[in-house]
Amino acid sequence: MAVQFAEKVYALAKEIAEDCQGLEAPFCAAECPMHTDALSYIRHIREGKLDDAVRTIREKLFLPATLGRICAHPCEKECRRETEFKQPLAIAALKRYAAEKADCVELWDVRVGVDTGKRVAVVGSGPAGAQAAIDLRKAGHQVTVYEKLSVRGGMLRVGIPSYRLPPKVLEFEYEYLDRLGIQFKLGVEVGKQVCLDDLRAEFDAVILAHGAHQGVVAQVEGCYSQGVTNAVDFLREMAFTQGCSAMGKNVLVIGGGDVAMDCARSALRAGADAVRIVCLENECELPASREEHEATIEEGVQFDYGWCVDAIHERDCRPTGARLKNCLALKDESGKFNPQLGDEMRAVECDTIVYAIGQRVLDIANGKLPQGGGGRYRVDPDTLASDIAGVFVAGDAAGTTIAIEAMAHGRKAALSADRFLRGISLIAERNFKLEASYKTRYDVPVPEDTKDLVRQHTRLVEVGVRRRSFAESDLGFDDATALSEAQRCLECECKECMQECLMLNEFTGCPGELFGVFLAKQQVDALVPYSCNLCNQCTLVCPKEFKLADAFMSMRKDFVRANKGRSPMKGHGAIDIHQKLSFSRVFTIKRKGRE
Amino acid sequence: MAIRHGFMPGCSLPSYSPTNIEKTIEFLRGVYPELSVIQKCCGKPTKSLGQVELLKERFGSLVADIKDCQVDEMLVACQNCYNMLRESDAFTTASLWERLPQIGLPAEVRGKALASDVVFSIHDSCPVRDNRAIHDGIRWILQELGYKTVEPERTRENARCCGFGGMIVPVNPELAKKVMDRRVKEMPTQHIVVYCAACRSSMLMGGGKAWHILDLLWGPVVTSASQPPENVLASPVKAWVNRYKSKGVIARSIK
Repeated sequence: MAVQFAEKVYALAKEIAEDCQGLEAPFCAAECPMHTDALSYIRHIREGKLDDAVRTIREKLFLPATLGRICAHPCEKECRRETEFKQPLAIAALKRYAAEKADCVELWDVRVGVDTGKRVAVVGSGPAGAQAAIDLRKAGHQVTVYEKLSVRGGMLRVGIPSYRLPPKVLEFEYEYLDRLGIQFKLGVEVGKQVCLDDLRAEFDAVILAHGAHQGVVAQVEGCYSQGVTNAVDFLREMAFTQGCSAMGKNVLVIGGGDVAMDCARSALRAGADAVRIVCLENECELPASREEHEATIEEGVQFDYGWCVDAIHERDCRPTGARLKNCLALKDESGKFNPQLGDEMRAVECDTIVYAIGQRVLDIANGKLPQGGGGRYRVDPDTLASDIAGVFVAGDAAGTTIAIEAMAHGRKAALSADRFLRGISLIAERNFKLEASYKTRYDVPVPEDTKDLVRQHTRLVEVGVRRRSFAESDLGFDDATALSEAQRCLECECKECMQECLMLNEFTGCPGELFGVFLAKQQVDALVPYSCNLCNQCTLVCPKEFKLADAFMSMRKDFVRANKGRSPMKGHGAIDIHQKLSFSRVFTIKRKGRE
Repeated sequence: MAIRHGFMPGCSLPSYSPTNIEKTIEFLRGVYPELSVIQKCCGKPTKSLGQVELLKERFGSLVADIKDCQVDEMLVACQNCYNMLRESDAFTTASLWERLPQIGLPAEVRGKALASDVVFSIHDSCPVRDNRAIHDGIRWILQELGYKTVEPERTRENARCCGFGGMIVPVNPELAKKVMDRRVKEMPTQHIVVYCAACRSSMLMGGGKAWHILDLLWGPVVTSASQPPENVLASPVKAWVNRYKSKGVIARSIK
């Protein structure tokens, strides 16, 4: 029965479909560039269903144990326990816990789509390239990954020290790509052995995801001295040899991010006697994560906050020390990054200097693609399409800075490439918002009786041991700690009416979905509005106080109007009779009382 | 001029218990000797189905009856009637449950259940969830009678529907049954007191032992060993026979 609904119905439906909190993602999932469903996997951990936890994580992430260790976890910055109490859930550590306890190849979903006959080359096997390769392979394309190094994983393998991420953890998770049937060409450098034109000719599409592997050294006096190096080269050598040929005994690391912490801590492990970090930032504005910063201090690295290396002293082409100048501000008046240096100066001794102040993208396209700051390729930010048809750029090569962002980029580039290969518009009916971090509109207040519970910490190897060892320094959660941490989750999702109303559960996941479908189809099964008890209990618990009963009641009127004045529900024939009798002379009476 | 009162038992109550109708009218006539009584539906089921035009006609006929009886204030025993009649400004409407505390109970019923060991869980009617005076009235009556009571977690303004609302029973009986079962399950005690005959039927269908408040007011003292009156409304024949009997009760009460 085609029913024309009243304006009121559409107005109510629109309000509910647009603002229902049931549709809004929790803060963690919205912030995660890959939108990992942390709420669900944490719930699974709480319920002891670790297989389910891994399955949930693996719906979005192919390397749970890796990310559980090294993800910069933007989710935790948005966690309600962070914004309310400064005690965010240890989301990443819980992910690692689930993976360590339950991940096994039997849980891996290795199904791939029907072969499309199309071939894609991916340059780079880091998180962006790997994710792009996975998504494209799952879409049914043949994928070949070109990797300059002899090992897979990009910065995960050669940028992150082994004491934070043991290579065997990463290697195991990369086996997933082999099981999908992705081909690898290791030790082949695109731009040298093979050029982009060759790839473009041989393959139907190309994804450039070769990262930003060019270290940067500031151009100051003495910077060409032997013993002055950059973080990328330093950490890569550490990854292969657990040492660095250029390193002496007294190391100075320049920079305030996680990479600087990695360099300083690696230097200690490789045998340095003294390590200090010089950074422009104050202690409280350090870009490095809290955990990394604290661990670095604990291991005995000295910090000079608010200083800049102005010149490097050298003797016999080897650094002997550096001249520092104080930094008054990081930005100039226009708000641009432009350190404002003061007049104060001091000297520090050192024999090695490692610059951890950023990385550049190496051009592998022979100048055919425009590059911006840091050598990053200029591509369409929504689709990652480059100026060359069929060539897409993902990950740090296109401007991401952390692994999880790089993966989201890989996914985005794969989506674009897949559309390109199928001859579909790159932009039509695509919700770009969901392809990256976004701000959820979830705003149900925290219940008033919510307690501030302290964040649980993972087990660290005793500092005296770990500061001299490349073996893993963080042992993760034990069962009891993981459980109590999982119990802190505030479960930021609105299920108020769904927990109250049995009827809604028969038809939908939340009212926003129900009325969204109604608006899309402009129709609804009459059984839906006619199953509502009209009790308003949903409205009582709804943070938006949506009047679902009014909407259903209005729908009923329109059904009746379209059905010649009668309810469309068969069972209501009994009510028709009941009502006729209840108004009939046989069963009614009025007796007027005396005057 | 003195205010003229009317009483309207509704549909489910006369279908359930002609005796309760008789005793209520008798008592009210003692307080309001000029009492008029009307047995007719308010049209709420018609309204719930969405039959706007039919409702106008049916509700109009009820209002005409009330006007014929020159009633200034209608007393109602059904919560749906209460909400429906309040939409008319031709007269005022009050619930019997808010009126009884004002006029008091007959001396012979006060404290009659003080010795009973039963503890009643109170189930409020959701259509009057916002009417505190009605909730208070029910509790006052129970206290006057001497019954011990306990509140479920969702009570008064948060009371859950008994499952009968919205005319869903003939349309989605499995769902209605689930709602009934759930409501009964959350009652702290086996014995439930309601003030709507349809709610009583739902509570029985959900596996509870339920009494209408008028059963407690006019009937024998209930103890923990008592069994509730049968679910008359579950049998259409019995229900319509009762409805017809109630009509006769009214005819005999007011000559």
